[in-house]
Amino acid sequence: MFAIYKRLWLVNWAEQWQYRANLLMYLAFWLVSPIVYLAVWTTIANAQGSINGFTAPDFVAYYMMLLIVDIATSDITIHIFGYKIMDGSLSNELILPIHPVLMKVLVNNLAFKALQMMALAPIWLILYVLYQPVFAITVTHVLLAIPAIALGFMLQFFAGATITCIAFWTTRVWSISDFYSNIFRLLAGQFVPLALLPAFMQSASQVLPFRLALYFPVQLLLGKLSLEETLLDLGLQVVWCVILFVLFRLVWRAGLKKYAAVGA
Amino acid sequence: MYILKLFSTFLKVNLQQDLAYRADAIVNMVMSVIGTGWDLLGLSIIFANTKEIGGWGPSELIALMGVWRLVNVMMATIVWPNTEKFNTGVRDGSLDYTFLQPVNSQLLISITRMVVWRVFDFAIAVALIIAGMTSGNVITSPPLVAAFLALTFSGAAIIYSLWITLISFTFWFTKFDNSVTIMAALMDAGRYPAQVYPYWLRALITFIIPIAVATTVPLQALRGELMGWQIIGFLVIGAAAVFLSSRVWKAGVRRYSGASS
Repeated sequence: MFAIYKRLWLVNWAEQWQYRANLLMYLAFWLVSPIVYLAVWTTIANAQGSINGFTAPDFVAYYMMLLIVDIATSDITIHIFGYKIMDGSLSNELILPIHPVLMKVLVNNLAFKALQMMALAPIWLILYVLYQPVFAITVTHVLLAIPAIALGFMLQFFAGATITCIAFWTTRVWSISDFYSNIFRLLAGQFVPLALLPAFMQSASQVLPFRLALYFPVQLLLGKLSLEETLLDLGLQVVWCVILFVLFRLVWRAGLKKYAAVGA
Repeated sequence: MYILKLFSTFLKVNLQQDLAYRADAIVNMVMSVIGTGWDLLGLSIIFANTKEIGGWGPSELIALMGVWRLVNVMMATIVWPNTEKFNTGVRDGSLDYTFLQPVNSQLLISITRMVVWRVFDFAIAVALIIAGMTSGNVITSPPLVAAFLALTFSGAAIIYSLWITLISFTFWFTKFDNSVTIMAALMDAGRYPAQVYPYWLRALITFIIPIAVATTVPLQALRGELMGWQIIGFLVIGAAAVFLSSRVWKAGVRRYSGASS
Protein backbone atom coordinates (compact mmCIF):
# COMPACT_ATOMS: atom_id res chain seq x y z
CA MET A 1 0.00 0.00 0.00
CA PHE A 2 2.70 2.43 1.07
CA ALA A 3 4.89 1.33 -1.83
CA ILE A 4 2.09 2.19 -4.26
CA TYR A 5 1.75 5.70 -2.84
CA LYS A 6 5.52 6.15 -2.94
CA ARG A 7 5.72 5.08 -6.59
CA LEU A 8 2.75 7.26 -7.54
CA TRP A 9 4.40 10.17 -5.79
CA LEU A 10 7.65 9.75 -7.75
CA VAL A 11 5.76 9.60 -11.06
CA ASN A 12 3.54 12.57 -10.23
CA TRP A 13 6.38 14.66 -8.89
CA ALA A 14 8.34 14.16 -12.12
CA GLU A 15 5.20 14.89 -14.15
CA GLN A 16 4.56 18.15 -12.30
CA TRP A 17 8.11 19.34 -12.96
CA GLN A 18 7.53 18.82 -16.64
CA TYR A 19 4.77 21.42 -16.51
CA ARG A 20 6.50 23.89 -14.18
CA ALA A 21 5.79 26.91 -16.38
CA ASN A 22 2.06 26.13 -16.34
CA LEU A 23 2.24 25.75 -12.57
CA LEU A 24 3.39 29.33 -12.19
CA MET A 25 0.36 30.45 -14.20
CA TYR A 26 -1.98 28.45 -12.00
CA LEU A 27 -0.36 29.89 -8.89
CA ALA A 28 -1.72 33.28 -9.96
CA PHE A 29 -5.25 31.98 -9.25
CA TRP A 30 -4.38 31.58 -5.58
CA LEU A 31 -2.43 34.82 -5.39
CA VAL A 32 -4.70 37.40 -6.97
CA SER A 33 -7.86 37.30 -4.87
CA PRO A 34 -6.19 37.35 -1.43
CA ILE A 35 -4.12 40.34 -2.56
CA VAL A 36 -7.25 42.03 -3.95
CA TYR A 37 -9.24 41.48 -0.75
CA LEU A 38 -6.25 42.55 1.33
CA ALA A 39 -6.14 45.81 -0.64
CA VAL A 40 -9.89 46.37 -0.30
CA TRP A 41 -10.03 45.82 3.46
CA THR A 42 -6.82 47.67 4.35
CA THR A 43 -8.07 50.66 2.33
CA ILE A 44 -11.27 50.69 4.37
CA ALA A 45 -9.47 50.08 7.66
CA ASN A 46 -7.00 52.87 6.93
CA ALA A 47 -9.82 55.29 6.09
CA GLN A 48 -11.68 54.51 9.31
CA GLY A 49 -8.89 53.58 11.73
CA SER A 50 -10.38 50.14 12.28
CA ILE A 51 -13.37 47.95 11.36
CA ASN A 52 -14.96 46.29 14.40
CA GLY A 53 -11.55 46.20 16.04
CA PHE A 54 -9.72 44.98 12.90
CA THR A 55 -6.87 47.34 11.99
CA ALA A 56 -4.96 47.42 8.69
CA PRO A 57 -2.05 45.33 10.14
CA ASP A 58 -4.60 42.71 11.30
CA PHE A 59 -5.87 42.35 7.74
CA VAL A 60 -2.31 42.15 6.39
CA ALA A 61 -1.40 39.35 8.81
CA TYR A 62 -4.68 37.55 8.07
CA TYR A 63 -4.36 37.50 4.28
CA MET A 64 -0.62 36.77 4.31
CA MET A 65 -1.33 33.68 6.42
CA LEU A 66 -4.33 32.83 4.25
CA LEU A 67 -2.12 32.75 1.14
CA ILE A 68 -0.19 29.78 2.55
CA VAL A 69 -3.10 27.89 4.12
CA ASP A 70 -5.32 28.33 1.06
CA ILE A 71 -2.82 26.52 -1.18
CA ALA A 72 -2.09 23.93 1.49
CA THR A 73 -5.74 22.91 1.99
CA SER A 74 -7.12 23.47 -1.52
CA ASP A 75 -8.20 20.60 -3.71
CA ILE A 76 -8.00 20.35 -7.51
CA THR A 77 -9.79 17.02 -8.04
CA ILE A 78 -12.42 18.51 -10.31
CA HIS A 79 -9.74 19.92 -12.63
CA ILE A 80 -7.63 16.78 -12.88
CA PHE A 81 -10.38 14.21 -12.75
CA GLY A 82 -13.67 15.77 -13.90
CA TYR A 83 -12.87 15.51 -17.61
CA LYS A 84 -11.99 11.81 -17.29
CA ILE A 85 -15.56 11.01 -16.29
CA MET A 86 -16.92 13.26 -19.02
CA ASP A 87 -14.81 11.96 -21.93
CA GLY A 88 -14.70 8.34 -20.77
CA SER A 89 -10.93 8.07 -20.20
CA LEU A 90 -11.80 6.89 -16.69
CA SER A 91 -12.32 3.43 -18.22
CA ASN A 92 -8.56 2.94 -18.61
CA GLU A 93 -7.98 3.76 -14.97
CA LEU A 94 -10.66 1.46 -13.65
CA ILE A 95 -8.70 -1.50 -15.02
CA LEU A 96 -5.73 -0.66 -12.79
CA PRO A 97 -5.62 -2.30 -9.36
CA ILE A 98 -5.43 1.10 -7.63
CA HIS A 99 -8.24 3.48 -6.71
CA PRO A 100 -8.40 6.23 -9.36
CA VAL A 101 -9.41 8.90 -6.85
CA LEU A 102 -8.25 7.81 -3.42
CA MET A 103 -4.79 6.95 -4.72
CA LYS A 104 -3.99 8.52 -8.06
CA VAL A 105 -5.85 11.81 -7.77
CA LEU A 106 -4.85 12.22 -4.14
CA VAL A 107 -1.14 11.89 -4.90
CA ASN A 108 -1.49 14.10 -7.97
CA ASN A 109 -3.07 16.73 -5.70
CA LEU A 110 -0.21 16.50 -3.22
CA ALA A 111 2.53 16.70 -5.86
CA PHE A 112 0.84 19.75 -7.39
CA LYS A 113 0.56 21.30 -3.95
CA ALA A 114 4.21 20.67 -3.08
CA LEU A 115 5.41 22.38 -6.22
CA GLN A 116 2.95 25.26 -5.77
CA MET A 117 4.38 25.78 -2.29
CA MET A 118 7.91 25.95 -3.69
CA ALA A 119 6.80 28.53 -6.25
CA LEU A 120 4.89 30.48 -3.61
CA ALA A 121 7.86 30.75 -1.22
CA PRO A 122 9.85 33.46 -3.08
CA ILE A 123 6.68 35.40 -3.97
CA TRP A 124 5.48 35.24 -0.39
CA LEU A 125 8.84 36.58 0.83
CA ILE A 126 8.58 39.53 -1.57
CA LEU A 127 5.05 40.22 -0.29
CA TYR A 128 6.39 39.89 3.26
CA VAL A 129 8.92 42.65 2.59
CA LEU A 130 6.26 44.81 0.87
CA TYR A 131 3.57 44.43 3.55
CA GLN A 132 5.62 43.72 6.70
CA PRO A 133 3.01 41.59 8.46
CA VAL A 134 3.37 41.04 12.21
CA PHE A 135 2.80 37.46 13.35
CA ALA A 136 2.58 36.30 16.96
CA ILE A 137 3.41 32.72 16.14
CA THR A 138 4.58 30.07 18.62
CA VAL A 139 5.89 26.52 18.22
CA THR A 140 2.68 25.13 19.81
CA HIS A 141 0.57 26.85 17.16
CA VAL A 142 2.70 25.46 14.35
CA LEU A 143 2.57 21.93 15.79
CA LEU A 144 -1.22 22.12 16.17
CA ALA A 145 -1.56 23.63 12.71
CA ILE A 146 0.03 20.62 11.02
CA PRO A 147 -2.91 18.26 11.74
CA ALA A 148 -5.36 21.15 11.24
CA ILE A 149 -4.03 21.82 7.73
CA ALA A 150 -3.80 18.12 6.86
CA LEU A 151 -7.39 17.52 7.98
CA GLY A 152 -8.50 20.72 6.26
CA PHE A 153 -7.08 19.39 3.00
CA MET A 154 -8.65 15.95 3.44
CA LEU A 155 -11.98 17.65 4.11
CA GLN A 156 -11.76 19.63 0.88
CA PHE A 157 -10.45 16.61 -1.01
CA PHE A 158 -13.43 14.44 -0.06
CA ALA A 159 -15.85 17.31 -0.73
CA GLY A 160 -14.21 18.01 -4.10
CA ALA A 161 -14.18 14.32 -5.05
CA THR A 162 -17.87 13.99 -4.18
CA ILE A 163 -18.74 17.05 -6.26
CA THR A 164 -16.67 15.73 -9.17
CA CYS A 165 -18.66 12.47 -9.03
CA ILE A 166 -21.78 14.45 -9.94
CA ALA A 167 -20.29 14.29 -13.46
CA PHE A 168 -21.48 10.66 -13.59
CA TRP A 169 -25.03 11.99 -13.82
CA THR A 170 -24.70 15.40 -15.44
CA THR A 171 -22.39 15.82 -18.42
CA ARG A 172 -20.73 18.94 -17.07
CA VAL A 173 -19.83 19.89 -13.52
CA TRP A 174 -18.23 23.32 -13.88
CA SER A 175 -21.26 25.31 -12.79
CA ILE A 176 -21.62 23.22 -9.65
CA SER A 177 -17.94 23.67 -8.89
CA ASP A 178 -18.32 27.45 -9.43
CA PHE A 179 -21.22 27.40 -7.03
CA TYR A 180 -19.13 25.59 -4.43
CA SER A 181 -16.23 28.02 -4.74
CA ASN A 182 -18.64 30.97 -4.42
CA ILE A 183 -19.94 29.61 -1.13
CA PHE A 184 -16.43 28.79 -0.03
CA ARG A 185 -15.28 32.34 -0.75
CA LEU A 186 -17.67 33.90 1.74
CA LEU A 187 -18.12 31.15 4.33
CA ALA A 188 -14.54 29.87 4.63
CA GLY A 189 -12.99 33.29 5.16
CA GLN A 190 -11.38 33.98 1.76
CA PHE A 191 -13.30 37.20 1.28
CA VAL A 192 -13.18 38.59 4.80
CA PRO A 193 -12.38 37.32 8.31
CA LEU A 194 -15.59 35.57 9.37
CA ALA A 195 -15.95 37.83 12.44
CA LEU A 196 -16.89 40.67 10.04
CA LEU A 197 -19.74 38.82 8.33
CA PRO A 198 -23.34 39.82 9.12
CA ALA A 199 -24.75 37.86 12.09
CA PHE A 200 -26.84 35.36 10.09
CA MET A 201 -23.91 34.44 7.86
CA GLN A 202 -21.61 34.09 10.84
CA SER A 203 -23.90 31.54 12.44
CA ALA A 204 -24.21 29.74 9.10
CA SER A 205 -20.43 29.62 8.76
CA GLN A 206 -20.13 28.21 12.29
CA VAL A 207 -22.44 25.28 11.52
CA LEU A 208 -21.12 24.48 8.03
CA PRO A 209 -17.78 22.71 7.46
CA PHE A 210 -16.23 25.29 5.08
CA ARG A 211 -14.51 27.34 7.80
CA LEU A 212 -12.74 24.20 9.08
CA ALA A 213 -10.81 23.93 5.82
CA LEU A 214 -9.41 27.46 5.83
CA TYR A 215 -10.48 29.91 8.51
CA PHE A 216 -9.73 27.58 11.43
CA PRO A 217 -6.08 26.81 10.47
CA VAL A 218 -5.49 30.50 9.67
CA GLN A 219 -6.87 31.65 13.02
CA LEU A 220 -4.86 28.95 14.74
CA LEU A 221 -1.63 30.11 13.13
CA LEU A 222 -2.44 33.73 13.99
CA GLY A 223 -2.67 32.66 17.64
CA LYS A 224 -6.33 33.69 17.98
CA LEU A 225 -7.62 30.39 19.38
CA SER A 226 -7.44 28.89 22.85
CA LEU A 227 -6.38 25.28 23.29
CA GLU A 228 -9.99 24.19 23.98
CA GLU A 229 -11.29 25.88 20.83
CA THR A 230 -8.48 24.31 18.83
CA LEU A 231 -9.13 20.79 20.07
CA LEU A 232 -12.87 21.16 19.52
CA ASP A 233 -12.33 22.27 15.90
CA LEU A 234 -9.81 19.48 15.30
CA GLY A 235 -12.44 17.03 16.52
CA LEU A 236 -15.03 18.62 14.22
CA GLN A 237 -12.60 18.29 11.31
CA VAL A 238 -12.26 14.56 11.96
CA VAL A 239 -16.05 14.16 12.15
CA TRP A 240 -16.60 16.02 8.88
CA CYS A 241 -13.79 14.09 7.16
CA VAL A 242 -15.50 10.83 8.10
CA ILE A 243 -18.92 12.09 6.95
CA LEU A 244 -17.57 13.32 3.61
CA PHE A 245 -15.50 10.17 3.11
CA VAL A 246 -18.56 7.96 3.58
CA LEU A 247 -20.56 10.26 1.31
CA PHE A 248 -17.86 10.02 -1.35
CA ARG A 249 -17.81 6.20 -1.19
CA LEU A 250 -21.59 6.08 -1.62
CA VAL A 251 -21.66 8.55 -4.52
CA TRP A 252 -18.65 6.89 -6.16
CA ARG A 253 -20.23 3.43 -6.07
CA ALA A 254 -23.58 4.66 -7.34
CA GLY A 255 -21.78 6.71 -9.98
CA LEU A 256 -19.72 3.79 -11.26
CA LYS A 257 -22.87 1.78 -11.82
CA LYS A 258 -24.31 4.64 -13.81
CA TYR A 259 -21.01 5.08 -15.69
CA ALA A 260 -20.83 1.41 -16.66
CA ALA A 261 -24.32 1.65 -18.07
CA VAL A 262 -23.48 4.66 -20.25
CA GLY A 263 -19.87 3.98 -21.17
CA ALA A 264 -20.28 0.38 -22.33
CA MET B 1 -22.11 42.08 -45.03
CA TYR B 2 -20.71 38.59 -45.42
CA ILE B 3 -19.17 38.90 -41.95
CA LEU B 4 -22.70 39.22 -40.58
CA LYS B 5 -23.81 36.22 -42.58
CA LEU B 6 -20.86 34.20 -41.28
CA PHE B 7 -21.58 35.34 -37.76
CA SER B 8 -25.23 34.35 -37.91
CA THR B 9 -24.31 30.96 -39.37
CA PHE B 10 -21.94 30.26 -36.49
CA LEU B 11 -24.56 31.54 -34.08
CA LYS B 12 -27.06 29.06 -35.49
CA VAL B 13 -24.61 26.13 -35.31
CA ASN B 14 -23.62 26.96 -31.74
CA LEU B 15 -27.20 27.47 -30.69
CA GLN B 16 -28.00 24.01 -32.00
CA GLN B 17 -25.04 22.58 -30.08
CA ASP B 18 -26.10 24.32 -26.87
CA LEU B 19 -29.68 23.19 -27.28
CA ALA B 20 -28.43 19.62 -27.01
CA TYR B 21 -27.56 20.49 -23.41
CA ARG B 22 -30.71 22.39 -22.47
CA ALA B 23 -30.70 21.22 -18.84
CA ASP B 24 -27.09 22.31 -18.54
CA ALA B 25 -27.92 25.78 -19.87
CA ILE B 26 -30.82 26.18 -17.47
CA VAL B 27 -28.70 25.08 -14.50
CA ASN B 28 -26.05 27.57 -15.61
CA MET B 29 -28.60 30.40 -15.77
CA VAL B 30 -29.89 29.59 -12.29
CA MET B 31 -26.30 29.53 -11.05
CA SER B 32 -25.69 32.92 -12.69
CA VAL B 33 -28.60 34.46 -10.78
CA ILE B 34 -27.40 32.92 -7.51
CA GLY B 35 -23.84 34.03 -8.29
CA THR B 36 -25.02 37.60 -8.87
CA GLY B 37 -26.94 37.58 -5.59
CA TRP B 38 -23.86 36.19 -3.87
CA ASP B 39 -21.63 38.94 -5.36
CA LEU B 40 -24.11 41.60 -4.25
CA LEU B 41 -24.04 40.05 -0.78
CA GLY B 42 -20.25 40.45 -0.85
CA LEU B 43 -20.66 44.14 -1.74
CA SER B 44 -23.22 44.58 1.04
CA ILE B 45 -20.72 43.11 3.53
CA ILE B 46 -18.19 45.72 2.42
CA PHE B 47 -20.69 48.56 2.71
CA ALA B 48 -21.98 47.34 6.06
CA ASN B 49 -18.53 48.30 7.32
CA THR B 50 -17.91 51.48 5.36
CA LYS B 51 -19.67 54.23 3.40
CA GLU B 52 -17.19 54.31 0.54
CA ILE B 53 -14.10 52.58 -0.71
CA GLY B 54 -11.42 54.67 -2.39
CA GLY B 55 -14.06 57.40 -2.81
CA TRP B 56 -16.54 55.07 -4.57
CA GLY B 57 -20.01 54.45 -3.17
CA PRO B 58 -22.23 51.34 -3.37
CA SER B 59 -24.09 52.32 -6.55
CA GLU B 60 -20.81 52.97 -8.35
CA LEU B 61 -19.46 49.58 -7.31
CA ILE B 62 -22.67 47.92 -8.58
CA ALA B 63 -22.14 49.61 -11.95
CA LEU B 64 -18.49 48.53 -11.86
CA MET B 65 -19.61 44.98 -11.16
CA GLY B 66 -21.84 45.22 -14.23
CA VAL B 67 -18.95 46.35 -16.44
CA TRP B 68 -16.69 43.68 -14.96
CA ARG B 69 -19.32 41.05 -15.69
CA LEU B 70 -19.66 42.38 -19.23
CA VAL B 71 -15.96 41.69 -19.82
CA ASN B 72 -16.41 38.28 -18.23
CA VAL B 73 -19.32 37.52 -20.54
CA MET B 74 -17.08 38.25 -23.52
CA MET B 75 -14.42 35.93 -22.08
CA ALA B 76 -16.89 33.15 -21.32
CA THR B 77 -18.79 33.45 -24.60
CA ILE B 78 -15.93 33.51 -27.08
CA VAL B 79 -12.47 33.77 -25.53
CA TRP B 80 -12.25 30.65 -23.32
CA PRO B 81 -14.10 28.21 -25.61
CA ASN B 82 -12.15 29.33 -28.68
CA THR B 83 -8.83 29.22 -26.82
CA GLU B 84 -9.56 25.61 -26.03
CA LYS B 85 -10.36 24.88 -29.66
CA PHE B 86 -7.32 26.82 -30.86
CA ASN B 87 -4.91 24.99 -28.54
CA THR B 88 -6.28 21.65 -29.68
CA GLY B 89 -5.97 22.84 -33.28
CA VAL B 90 -2.29 23.70 -32.87
CA ARG B 91 -1.54 20.43 -31.13
CA ASP B 92 -3.26 18.02 -33.51
CA GLY B 93 -2.94 20.09 -36.68
CA SER B 94 -6.67 20.59 -37.23
CA LEU B 95 -5.90 24.32 -37.43
CA ASP B 96 -4.86 23.57 -41.04
CA TYR B 97 -8.53 23.38 -41.99
CA THR B 98 -9.17 26.81 -40.50
CA PHE B 99 -6.51 28.38 -42.70
CA LEU B 100 -7.87 26.61 -45.78
CA GLN B 101 -11.15 28.52 -45.48
CA PRO B 102 -11.42 31.57 -47.74
CA VAL B 103 -12.25 33.76 -44.73
CA ASN B 104 -10.22 36.02 -42.45
CA SER B 105 -8.61 33.48 -40.12
CA GLN B 106 -8.66 35.77 -37.09
CA LEU B 107 -12.41 36.18 -37.40
CA LEU B 108 -12.81 32.45 -37.84
CA ILE B 109 -10.84 31.43 -34.74
CA SER B 110 -12.66 34.11 -32.71
CA ILE B 111 -16.23 33.05 -33.37
CA THR B 112 -16.20 29.35 -34.23
CA ARG B 113 -17.33 28.50 -30.71
CA MET B 114 -19.90 30.70 -28.99
CA VAL B 115 -21.63 29.82 -25.75
CA VAL B 116 -24.98 31.24 -26.74
CA TRP B 117 -26.86 31.01 -23.42
CA ARG B 118 -24.36 33.55 -22.02
CA VAL B 119 -26.70 36.16 -23.53
CA PHE B 120 -28.49 35.72 -20.23
CA ASP B 121 -25.36 36.82 -18.32
CA PHE B 122 -25.08 39.75 -20.68
CA ALA B 123 -28.58 40.84 -19.66
CA ILE B 124 -27.68 40.56 -15.98
CA ALA B 125 -24.56 42.68 -16.54
CA VAL B 126 -26.53 45.39 -18.37
CA ALA B 127 -29.18 45.36 -15.62
CA LEU B 128 -26.46 45.86 -12.99
CA ILE B 129 -24.97 48.78 -14.93
CA ILE B 130 -28.37 50.45 -15.30
CA ALA B 131 -29.22 49.81 -11.64
CA GLY B 132 -25.90 51.27 -10.52
CA MET B 133 -26.23 54.33 -12.77
CA THR B 134 -29.81 55.20 -11.81
CA SER B 135 -29.61 54.54 -8.07
CA GLY B 136 -27.67 56.65 -5.63
CA ASN B 137 -25.50 59.63 -6.37
CA VAL B 138 -23.73 58.81 -9.62
CA ILE B 139 -23.60 62.14 -11.44
CA THR B 140 -24.23 61.52 -15.12
CA SER B 141 -24.99 63.51 -18.23
CA PRO B 142 -25.56 62.26 -21.81
CA PRO B 143 -21.98 63.03 -22.95
CA LEU B 144 -20.56 61.18 -19.94
CA VAL B 145 -22.78 58.17 -20.66
CA ALA B 146 -21.61 58.24 -24.28
CA ALA B 147 -17.97 58.32 -23.14
CA PHE B 148 -18.72 55.46 -20.74
CA LEU B 149 -20.21 53.30 -23.50
CA ALA B 150 -17.37 54.07 -25.90
CA LEU B 151 -14.72 53.27 -23.28
CA THR B 152 -16.49 50.06 -22.24
CA PHE B 153 -16.48 48.93 -25.85
CA SER B 154 -12.85 49.92 -26.46
CA GLY B 155 -11.79 48.35 -23.13
CA ALA B 156 -13.34 45.06 -24.18
CA ALA B 157 -11.59 45.42 -27.55
CA ILE B 158 -8.24 45.88 -25.77
CA ILE B 159 -8.76 42.69 -23.74
CA TYR B 160 -9.77 40.84 -26.92
CA SER B 161 -6.64 42.15 -28.70
CA LEU B 162 -4.45 41.00 -25.85
CA TRP B 163 -5.98 37.55 -26.20
CA ILE B 164 -5.31 37.48 -29.95
CA THR B 165 -1.71 38.56 -29.30
CA LEU B 166 -1.17 35.92 -26.63
CA ILE B 167 -2.51 33.06 -28.72
CA SER B 168 -0.51 34.34 -31.73
CA PHE B 169 2.66 33.90 -29.66
CA THR B 170 1.92 30.17 -29.75
CA PHE B 171 3.19 30.25 -33.35
CA TRP B 172 6.62 31.35 -32.12
CA PHE B 173 6.80 29.61 -28.74
CA THR B 174 4.91 26.33 -28.84
CA LYS B 175 4.76 26.07 -25.06
CA PHE B 176 2.92 29.38 -24.74
CA ASP B 177 -0.63 28.05 -24.66
CA ASN B 178 -1.12 28.64 -20.96
CA SER B 179 -0.36 32.35 -21.01
CA VAL B 180 -4.09 32.92 -21.38
CA THR B 181 -4.49 31.37 -17.91
CA ILE B 182 -2.84 34.42 -16.41
CA MET B 183 -5.58 36.60 -17.92
CA ALA B 184 -8.21 34.45 -16.23
CA ALA B 185 -6.39 34.63 -12.91
CA LEU B 186 -6.12 38.41 -13.00
CA MET B 187 -9.77 38.96 -13.95
CA ASP B 188 -10.72 39.03 -10.27
CA ALA B 189 -8.74 42.24 -9.80
CA GLY B 190 -11.31 44.04 -12.00
CA ARG B 191 -14.06 43.72 -9.38
CA TYR B 192 -12.91 46.77 -7.43
CA PRO B 193 -11.70 50.24 -8.43
CA ALA B 194 -8.00 50.11 -9.33
CA GLN B 195 -7.26 53.07 -7.02
CA VAL B 196 -7.64 50.70 -4.07
CA TYR B 197 -4.70 48.52 -5.10
CA PRO B 198 -1.01 48.97 -4.30
CA TYR B 199 0.89 50.69 -7.11
CA TRP B 200 2.51 47.50 -8.49
CA LEU B 201 -0.81 45.68 -8.85
CA ARG B 202 -2.37 48.80 -10.37
CA ALA B 203 0.51 49.01 -12.87
CA LEU B 204 0.09 45.31 -13.67
CA ILE B 205 -3.64 45.54 -14.41
CA THR B 206 -3.28 48.84 -16.28
CA PHE B 207 -0.27 48.23 -18.52
CA ILE B 208 0.43 44.48 -18.72
CA ILE B 209 -2.99 42.79 -18.45
CA PRO B 210 -5.18 45.90 -18.82
CA ILE B 211 -8.27 44.75 -16.96
CA ALA B 212 -8.48 48.09 -15.16
CA VAL B 213 -8.68 49.86 -18.53
CA ALA B 214 -11.76 47.78 -19.34
CA THR B 215 -13.46 48.15 -15.95
CA THR B 216 -12.26 51.07 -13.80
CA VAL B 217 -11.63 53.51 -16.66
CA PRO B 218 -15.18 53.49 -18.13
CA LEU B 219 -16.59 54.03 -14.64
CA GLN B 220 -14.18 56.93 -14.11
CA ALA B 221 -15.53 58.48 -17.28
CA LEU B 222 -19.07 58.04 -15.98
CA ARG B 223 -18.09 59.79 -12.76
CA GLY B 224 -16.69 62.68 -14.80
CA GLU B 225 -13.14 62.12 -13.56
CA LEU B 226 -11.55 61.94 -17.00
CA MET B 227 -10.54 64.87 -19.19
CA GLY B 228 -11.57 64.90 -22.84
CA TRP B 229 -8.02 64.18 -24.00
CA GLN B 230 -7.79 61.18 -21.67
CA ILE B 231 -10.98 59.70 -23.09
CA ILE B 232 -9.73 60.20 -26.64
CA GLY B 233 -6.35 58.77 -25.59
CA PHE B 234 -7.92 55.55 -24.31
CA LEU B 235 -10.02 55.21 -27.46
CA VAL B 236 -6.90 55.66 -29.62
CA ILE B 237 -5.11 52.99 -27.55
CA GLY B 238 -8.08 50.69 -28.11
CA ALA B 239 -7.99 51.17 -31.88
CA ALA B 240 -4.20 50.74 -31.92
CA ALA B 241 -4.48 47.50 -29.90
CA VAL B 242 -6.98 46.05 -32.36
CA PHE B 243 -4.77 47.03 -35.32
CA LEU B 244 -1.48 45.79 -33.81
CA SER B 245 -2.93 42.50 -32.60
CA SER B 246 -4.28 41.69 -36.05
CA ARG B 247 -0.78 42.37 -37.46
CA VAL B 248 0.76 40.05 -34.87
CA TRP B 249 -1.81 37.41 -35.76
CA LYS B 250 -1.00 37.68 -39.49
CA ALA B 251 2.74 37.48 -38.80
CA GLY B 252 2.14 34.44 -36.63
CA VAL B 253 0.02 32.71 -39.24
CA ARG B 254 2.87 33.12 -41.76
CA ARG B 255 5.10 31.14 -39.38
CA TYR B 256 2.57 28.35 -38.96
CA SER B 257 3.74 25.09 -40.49
CA GLY B 258 1.11 22.63 -39.28
CA ALA B 259 1.44 19.66 -36.98
CA SER B 260 -0.46 17.09 -38.97
CA SER B 261 1.42 16.75 -42.25
